[in-house]
Amino acid sequence: MNSEMALIAAAKRGSVLAFTELVARYRIGLLRFLVTRTASFADAEDALQDTLINAFRYIKSYDARWRFSTWLYRIAINNAAGIRVADTEALGDLCDEESDPLEQCIAASERENLWISARRVLSDEVYTAMWLRYAEDMSVNDIAAVLGRSVSWTKVNLLRARQQLDAAIAGTKNAEVSKAYG
Amino acid sequence: MDKLAKQLRDDAQRIEVEVSPELDARIRASLAGLRQETGRPPRERIKTASYWWASSLTGIAATVAIISVINLNKVDPESAITEPAPQQFTMPQFTWKPKPAVLTETLEQELDAIQSDLKKAEQVIRDDFDKIGI
Repeated sequence: MNSEMALIAAAKRGSVLAFTELVARYRIGLLRFLVTRTASFADAEDALQDTLINAFRYIKSYDARWRFSTWLYRIAINNAAGIRVADTEALGDLCDEESDPLEQCIAASERENLWISARRVLSDEVYTAMWLRYAEDMSVNDIAAVLGRSVSWTKVNLLRARQQLDAAIAGTKNAEVSKAYG
Repeated sequence: MDKLAKQLRDDAQRIEVEVSPELDARIRASLAGLRQETGRPPRERIKTASYWWASSLTGIAATVAIISVINLNKVDPESAITEPAPQQFTMPQFTWKPKPAVLTETLEQELDAIQSDLKKAEQVIRDDFDKIGI
């Protein structure tokens, strides 16, 4: 299997084949992320397509000092924001359970998915930071670069987000206990 | 890894998505289209010393030619000034042929006739002036 840098170099020379192989390992992760950031699954697919096209179009400007996934996610976030530009409401308010692509994609699970709770209690930007940290295992520095924020801002908001999420989980559990025991 | 981090990672993995064959085909077609649009190899640049000299000389020659053409078509400011009109103006010589007035009508009628003759003469003089462009 070709190394990532070799594929990037080939893609920079215009090889669609190399680019396709390069992004193959990121496509599912990107789509999973975009499903949580858009109002419908079709929007998420459109955002993925736009992301990959823009990445190929501008790959010559890719700076190897960044991780490729960091660069790709930055494009994806911009595309998701572009698709949602007409929406003034937060995504948590925008989606109902029937049409929410995230709800649809985890419908088979029995317990509630933490990312649904996260989206309910966190702002879009902080949610994205959490996703990049825990779903994509990105470093704090990379997350700061993707979001265009300082490292300090990222650290503080990740910590606060965890606290908020813990509180939300505890609240849900307390509510369940109260419901069970009347 | 703490419990919350592990749960978040597991829950992210439990979001079931897949890139459908239709989406995959769409993406591949878009990329191929983009390749055709932008994939033309750039023209190889000739960077030899002779090329540099040739282009420099061509540029200089073109500049000189343009300056020459502009100067040839330029109106000479000295010739553009119109010569002043000659100061001496030759007045036409009139030959006066006085005739004795024969009063055949009343004085008033004669006066009217004389005034009419004067007006006609004035008009003739104006016409003559117009003809010689004064």
